[in-house]
Order: sequence, then structure tokens, then C-alpha cells
Amino acid sequence: MNRTRQLRIVVLAGILSLACTTKVSEWVLLNSEPVQYALLYVHGKTLTESAKQQNAELTRNLKTANIIFRSVTREGTVEPYYELHYRNRLVSKYNDYRELDKLTASSLRDKIAAELMSGKLCVILYLRSGNREKDEAGLQVIRKTVESSPFGKIIPVMELSRTNRDEIHFISMLLNVESDLKFINEPMLFGIFGRFTALEPLLAKGISQENINLMIDFLTADCSCLIKDNLPGVNILYKSSWENPSPAMVNSILEANPSLLHQ
Amino acid sequence: MGKDTLIYDSVEYRPLPKWLTDQRDGLNTYQPERIEMKEDRSLPVSFTVTVLIVLLTIIFLTISILRKNKKS
Repeated sequence: MNRTRQLRIVVLAGILSLACTTKVSEWVLLNSEPVQYALLYVHGKTLTESAKQQNAELTRNLKTANIIFRSVTREGTVEPYYELHYRNRLVSKYNDYRELDKLTASSLRDKIAAELMSGKLCVILYLRSGNREKDEAGLQVIRKTVESSPFGKIIPVMELSRTNRDEIHFISMLLNVESDLKFINEPMLFGIFGRFTALEPLLAKGISQENINLMIDFLTADCSCLIKDNLPGVNILYKSSWENPSPAMVNSILEANPSLLHQ
Repeated sequence: MGKDTLIYDSVEYRPLPKWLTDQRDGLNTYQPERIEMKEDRSLPVSFTVTVLIVLLTIIFLTISILRKNKKS
């Protein structure tokens, strides 16, 4: 075996070993492309000039977001409308172009993305149900658990009311992470990481110290091929190129406290 | 999506997300291969093969020597 070949094997082994020690949250942010949503403009046979102009503007506005736009002819359609799909699921239907305002960005999504790009482990998003007693109880558990976690400083907790009109698209996407969520009026905890991936939520009594710590364990674990091949969660629609994120803060915590490394 | 939870009676009995149960049960990492002891038959096989080779060699040599002597 010549020297070049030996060197190649050593370099390859080094890359592989690095890949396997990258933490789940960091690996997903650096490598996992967000899944594309599909926005369909469903219309009858003729397409008016104003609709063509609107759609051209829409196509420009959707650039850099994880979404594709298509115009679809469906016979029998009297009034045109828009449909938002994620994989094979219908997320929302819009009868008016104006309803698509803030579809790909909103103030809360901007805040969450900024935290993820700054190297935070994840963002815990607490979706309030509107039942004050239940909401406060869940929030107490979250705050207590995050504060006592060695990773607490790199896990921002944010709250969102289910009736917030400014975040209507975001709430709709969160409630479509699983098919039954929109029918459950309970507080929900979404772990958001990577390029805006929302994990299937913890809800009601599932919001417990044990489960939140398991979520933190999941995100701070070495990214095994099992996780890479079958990433959980759903990508939220967001306008970002996800370029040049800051180094993951989890690594400095683990370097300072090797006892926290997963066995 | 695509990993939706199963049908359940009430929120109380709603199953936990799969990523969470996998993490709890240690299924997100490769399990080390379980090594099982197997019966070792290499010694009797080795003896049998050796005996067979010795016997075949003796038979071959005997026949060849006898033939040589018969000719002479």
C-alpha cells in the first residue's frame, strides 16, 4: 500500500470519527436541508392577468424559503384559491391572496431562527392553550427543568398564544406537525432545532421534567446514522439561507464538563 | 408527519412521540453486537483429517512399493 493511499484512509477515518461525534442539533443545522412546502394556486381553465401578476410577485417573495410554487388547473373551480401542502398533507387553504401575507416569515420565527443561528441548542416553544391554570402549570415545569439543566443557558424558552393573529401561519404549521394536534386544546411544548425543525410535541401531562430532559439528551447526543436516516419532526416554513451559523455552544459545555457526554 | 401517533382514547393515553421513546429506550444508538459462544469442533475435525491423510499416504506408499517390487 503506497503512502498516498494510507494518508487517504487516515483522513477518511478522521472525517468519519468527527461525523459521529457531532451532536444531533449541530449536525441537523449544518447538513439537513429543510423539506420543501408546496404552495398551489388552484384555478379553472383561464388565468386572469391580475392573477398572473400576483403569482409572479409571490414567486419572487418566496425565494430563499423552503417552498415551491405551482399553478394548477382543476376543472370545476369557480373561484381560485391557494393550498399549502407539506409532503402529502394539506396544511392550509387560502381563498384570498392577502391571506398569504407573512407566510414565510414572522417576528417570532425571526427570533427563533436568530437563536438557532447563534449556536443555541434548541428553542423550546410553548404553545399556550388558553386555559390559564394548565398553561401556568406546564410553564412552571419547563422553566424549572431548563434552569436545572446544565444546558439551560443555551435553551431559550418562548411562549406563543394559540390565538395570536400575527403568527397564524406559524401556529397552523405547528398544529400540523401531527394530524391530531389541531383537535387537542392542551398546552404543547415544541423543541425547535436545526433549520427550523419542530419535533413532535410534548403535551398536557407529557410536559414533564423527565421528558424534557430526554429531549435535551436527544439533541445533545452524538448524531448516529440511525437518527440521520430517520430524522423526526417537521420543518417549519421559513425564509432563510441558513448560511454561516455560529459554532454550536453545546460543544464548549461538553468540553468543560466531560461527565455530560453520552456513554 | 409520517410518524403520527396512533389512535388513542383520550389525551391522557396519547402515546409519547417516537423520538422520545426511542431516546428513553436507547434505540437511537447502535447496539453492540451480542457475541454468543458456539460449539468448537475444530479439534476432532483436525484429528480426523490428520488420520485420513496418514492412512491415505500409507496406502499409497504401500501400493507403490509393492508394485515396484513386483516389477523387479
